[in-house]
Amino acid sequence: MNAAIRVEAQKLVRSPVGVIGSLALVAGTLALLGGITAALASGNPELTAKVGVAATLDWDGLLAGAAQITSAGALLGFGVVLSWMFGREFADGTITGLFALPVSRARIALAKLAVYAVWAVAVSVLLTVGILALGLTLNYGAPSAETWAALGRQTVLTILTAAVAAPVAWVATLTRSLLAAVGGAIALAIVAQVGALAGAGGWMPLAAPALWAMSNGTAANPMQLALTVAFSAAFVGLTCASWARLQLNR
Amino acid sequence: MLTFENVSFSFRGGAGVRNLTFEISPGEIVALVGLNGAGKTTLMRLALGMIRPQQGTARIFGQPLDAVPSATWAKVGALIEVPLAYPELTVRENLRIASLLHGGGRGRHSVDGSVETWLLAPVADRRFRRLSLGNRQRVGLAAALQHDPQLIVLDEPSNALDPASVILLRDQLVQRAKQGAAILVSSHHLDEVARIAHRVLLMNTGRLIGELEITGTDLERAFFERIRDDDERRSETLGASR
Repeated sequence: MNAAIRVEAQKLVRSPVGVIGSLALVAGTLALLGGITAALASGNPELTAKVGVAATLDWDGLLAGAAQITSAGALLGFGVVLSWMFGREFADGTITGLFALPVSRARIALAKLAVYAVWAVAVSVLLTVGILALGLTLNYGAPSAETWAALGRQTVLTILTAAVAAPVAWVATLTRSLLAAVGGAIALAIVAQVGALAGAGGWMPLAAPALWAMSNGTAANPMQLALTVAFSAAFVGLTCASWARLQLNR
Repeated sequence: MLTFENVSFSFRGGAGVRNLTFEISPGEIVALVGLNGAGKTTLMRLALGMIRPQQGTARIFGQPLDAVPSATWAKVGALIEVPLAYPELTVRENLRIASLLHGGGRGRHSVDGSVETWLLAPVADRRFRRLSLGNRQRVGLAAALQHDPQLIVLDEPSNALDPASVILLRDQLVQRAKQGAAILVSSHHLDEVARIAHRVLLMNTGRLIGELEITGTDLERAFFERIRDDDERRSETLGASR
């Protein structure tokens, strides 16, 4: 298992996809937040109306904006990277080399997901640190206890957003297609947004983390967040099982 | 080391292999020859567990493939279609990950030795995506063989290799067979096959149709005669059954 984790970690660290994915998720989100803040400061009335609760030039507004961007954009970003981690083996043809090894394919799949999880936590923490630095740079003052709690929720939101992208690993495996998996990531992002708008509420695993983070923790309870974790775990299990039973028969 | 007993597999659409029965012993180099689409790669995929037989049993080291302990696969080296190498990694990094995945701890399988053996030193720190086809193939062969496997399965290993690399490959296979490895290799180069193989299995339309005598002078002619005879026999049988 250690061998598979080392191999997968090296592949992600050395790939342009890993680097660009990390930059898009951290620098991209911060750039968007900076842009929104600048537009609000210039008194743009259209944007003020569009961003809703994120329209205030303080910690609350900054963190509300971060949660909105994370819930939609980060799901797509994480989904694309996870699609690549699984779909590339089929697209590059290297899947044939992952047979006839003393490391089972289920363990290789689990190693991919473990490396993805560690990377997602690192990206989540980096993003939160970046948001903190942005708020301090914008002279929003020292964070209050509520702000620290909101920063904590932002970190958990980013991690759970990475977790709910898990189905794309299964889609990549079933379809043996990188593009189909990316399509799956787009579909997940759409379902999450539509579900939230349609009022599916905290019982919808894809939307619960965002609702929870954007409502100061009131719109989704721990059971509903646990359901999100269970949803991801189920797809981790399905993906590993599919890799264990994989046949190159088409 | 590798045994097939009446192994059959059909893809959706009808193509596949039927009633494959053969055995490869330690120290033996067995070549698999046949026209494109004859089923050589499918046979090799069956041998490596990439597809499961619908009938019959494939065994390695005496055990059916679905019961082979994970550790046993460390004694197998294979190159089927695409090398186990990633474009963003250098040659040396790719060889290191191949070593890790074949059960080698840090430094257990000599990546440096492999670089030297396969004459990869000039490109060792170059990314795989920037290599020529021939160099990619040599990296794939190095990755498949550096852990000194006892069972070797190579699908058209001389593809894209220059003449010097073909000789290198030949020497490697002969040397490994002398050390007791069982080797199955497919090829389109009959002369090349005749130089190293102890036996040549002939494959046509998904079936093994016998062995090709390699002591004769005109191998190509013998090969095409056998294929033609088999095609004629098959069409007669089909005609009689209608």
